[in-house]
This record gives sequence, C-alpha cells and structure tokens, in this order.
Amino acid sequence: MTTRFHPSSFFRSCTTAFCTLVMSVVVAGCADAPPATDTEAVAEYNRANDPLEPWNRGVYDVNAAIDKAVIKPAAERYRDYVPEFVRDRFRDFLNNLRSPVIFVNDVLQGDPKKAVDTLTRFTFNTGFGAGGLFDVASGLVPRHENDLGETLGVWGVGEGPYLVLPLLGPSNPRDAFGVGVEAYADPFDRYASNMGYGYVTYIRGAMSGLQRRTENLDTLDEIERTSIDPYSTIRSLYRQYRQSLIDGKPTSDKPHPGLSGSYPDNAELSQETN
Amino acid sequence: MLTRRLILVVAIAFGLVASSVLPAHADVDGQQAKDMVSKLAKQAVEVMTGKGVPDSERVERFRSLFISSVDLPGISRFVLARHWKIASPDQQQDFVKLFEDMLVYTWANRFKDASDKIAVQVNGVKPDGDQGVVVDSVIVRDGQEPVPVLWRLRQTDGALRIQDLLIEGTSMIVTYREEYASVINQNGGNINSLLDVLRKKTVSMAQQQSAGKTN
Repeated sequence: MTTRFHPSSFFRSCTTAFCTLVMSVVVAGCADAPPATDTEAVAEYNRANDPLEPWNRGVYDVNAAIDKAVIKPAAERYRDYVPEFVRDRFRDFLNNLRSPVIFVNDVLQGDPKKAVDTLTRFTFNTGFGAGGLFDVASGLVPRHENDLGETLGVWGVGEGPYLVLPLLGPSNPRDAFGVGVEAYADPFDRYASNMGYGYVTYIRGAMSGLQRRTENLDTLDEIERTSIDPYSTIRSLYRQYRQSLIDGKPTSDKPHPGLSGSYPDNAELSQETN
Repeated sequence: MLTRRLILVVAIAFGLVASSVLPAHADVDGQQAKDMVSKLAKQAVEVMTGKGVPDSERVERFRSLFISSVDLPGISRFVLARHWKIASPDQQQDFVKLFEDMLVYTWANRFKDASDKIAVQVNGVKPDGDQGVVVDSVIVRDGQEPVPVLWRLRQTDGALRIQDLLIEGTSMIVTYREEYASVINQNGGNINSLLDVLRKKTVSMAQQQSAGKTN
C-alpha cells in the first residue's frame, strides 16, 4: 500500500499533539515567581509580565516549527514569484475589507477625524478603486490601522498577562478578546456566512495571514539574526508596540508617543545608567 | 502694593511658562542634537556603503563612529540592570565588550543593507530631563513605509551621546534588558551563561559580516 495523506489519521495525530501540549502545560505549570523579599528580582519578573511563560514558550515553539515548515516558505514564494502588482492588489483589497471594523473602532475611541478618514478611504477605494483593489485614496488620506484591543486599551483596560496564541502568535487576553469579537462581528464575514459561503472567511483569513507574514519577513529574519532569545525579544517588542499605539492616541493623556507606559523616565534612566 | 505684587506674580508665572515652553535647554542645545543625528546617520551610511573600502575595515570604521556617539557604558548598566550589581568587574567588562560587538554587528549590517536610498529626516527636538533631549525623526526608504524613530540623547562626559533608539514605539534598551534578563533566568540566574551565548552569537555574526551575507 502506498503512503497517502489520510485526513482522519492526520487529525488524530493533531489531537494527540494538542493533548500532549495541554498535559505539558499542566505539568509545567506557571513560571516560578521569585521570593517577595528579592524586590529587584520581583520587579524584573513583573516587567516581563509573563506568568504563563512555560506554556507560552511551548506554543511559541510549535508556532515556530509550523512557520519554518510551511508559513515562512509560503511567504517567501509569494514574495519571490507573485508579481508586486498582484500582491499590492491583494493587499489593498484585504485592507479595504477591514475598513468597517477600523471605522467602528475609530468611533469607539472618540476620534471623529480618524473615523472620517476611514469612511472617506472606504468610499473612495470601493467606488473608484475597483471595489478596493486599488488604494486610490492613499494620496489624499493616509491609511491607519485600528482594532478592538486598542480601543479597550484606550478605555483603560489593562493588557493582562502575555499570551502566545496558536498560529496567531503574540497577544494578551485583551487583544485576543478583540481579535475574537472582530472575527465574529466583521460585516463581510457575516455576510459571506449568511449567504452560505462560509469558506470565503477562511480564504480571507489565510490570505491576510500570508500578507502579514510576507510583510514581516525581513523583520523576523533580523530578529533571528540578532537575538539570542527571539521569544523574549518578540514578547518585549509586541508589548511595547501595543502600548505605544494606545499611548499615541489623541484621547490618551500620555505626553509623548513612545516615551510612556513602562518606559523608564529620565530620572530612572540617569540613576540606572550612572 | 497689590499691583506690584500682581506684576511680580505675573512675571514669575510668565518666566516659568516661558522656560517650560522654550525647547532649547540650558544644558543641551537642541539644534546641536538635531545636527548630530542627521550627520551621524549620513556618516554611518557612508562608512558602510562607500566604495573602495575593504569590508573588514568598514566594520572597524563603523565601530569607532559607534563608540564615539553611543553611551555604551551607560546602556550596558541599564541593560544588565540588577545583574550588573551582582556581576564581578571581570564579568562587567566582558559584557560591555560583547555587547559592543553585538550592537556593532547588528547596526553595521542594517546600514549596509540600507544603501544610499535611505534618508533620516529630522523633524524636531524636545527636552528630556536636565541632561537630555529626544530627537524626533523619520527614516525614509524607497518603496517602503516611513519608520518613525526617536533618538534619546544625553550629555555624558562632556559630549552628547545616544542613550536609546525608539523605533515605532519600541525602545532598543528596554528590549535588550528583557532579552538578556530572560536568558540569565532561563539558565538559573547565571551571568556567565549569558556571556557564553553572547560570545557564540557575536562570533557567528562577525563571520556572516565578513562573508558578506546579509542574513
């Protein structure tokens, strides 16, 4: 008998892998917090904000293996073999589909200027950009991202402990909740599902993932080249970046984008560097 | 009597407001800081992409430029944080040397890839405490989204030196601090294990550099 791909056995082995993962988390448990008497060690532990580190590192390793075997090679081929013009059309189209979600978040954050920007871009690109294939509005109104995790952050919801999600990567309970709600509430996905084209949702998700990975090829290669522990580098970058997005909002009271949140102020910096 | 006091109050208030609004600080000249950033970025690209220089010398030229403009001792202490205080003088010295290599190979390569299509646009400068300023800039490259970069500079040993770079809201020194603390803690709090890993990594980065590979 020739070896063929058997879906049932494939899923069975996936289930086994998942159960092993869950059990390893149960066994590994949480990261050991340092004794409360060692205040500097406690401060370091709190700065990392990663009480679930053993579990997170497990998910990270699985993600990294999948990335190396499938996702990264796919992204490289997409970049190398698909003409830039075609990639740009996919990018613009997928970006345009996100507009309603971005618009709602602009509104929820009390930012009418950004909301009008998003609405203008969506109208223009859908109407004059061949249904969003061409981002004709970018010369007039620059694009911005927004999501529910940011909105919750602007409203004062804390990030919670760092979380690495299967396939999706770095996150936290607040941002993961945002991703979940957006996936459920997205008007295009809802429409497709209601019309019986639920698979369209998956194609869109896969394309967005491919798009995102392709954009990050150089960044992640650079982390691989220069970091001695990519896991903690990515954790730190993700948390700082998300915080800076929230601090940078006009409705936030933080003074200078990028110089707030957990960033040491000048006094602390002088003290620690002298 | 009342009027005179009022004038005094107004004068003081105005004085306070004026001193907090004026961007140039007594200790650090804002224009000088801006010029330093533009000049430095230009020099770094020149050193790494200029023609007629062997690759090994490029990196050494970059290193001297780097050492003179970055507050390496200060950054090293910040990055090791609590482990700096526990480390022996030898370990501290080893770390500073290895960290210098790490930063030089990291950045030399970035400027090498950049070619002369890269431009650093300096937008503004803000005071940052007594001895420091933050220079606001954007890195512009062909066909790519501009990247906002903040340069945190501070007066150390009579010269203005780079203390940190904030790229898209992420601080270089905070990221290193977390990465290295994590490596030390993964190895039972042993600083030597961090030094070993750094030694291996910098050696392989140096080899890649001289082999002319970009990745």
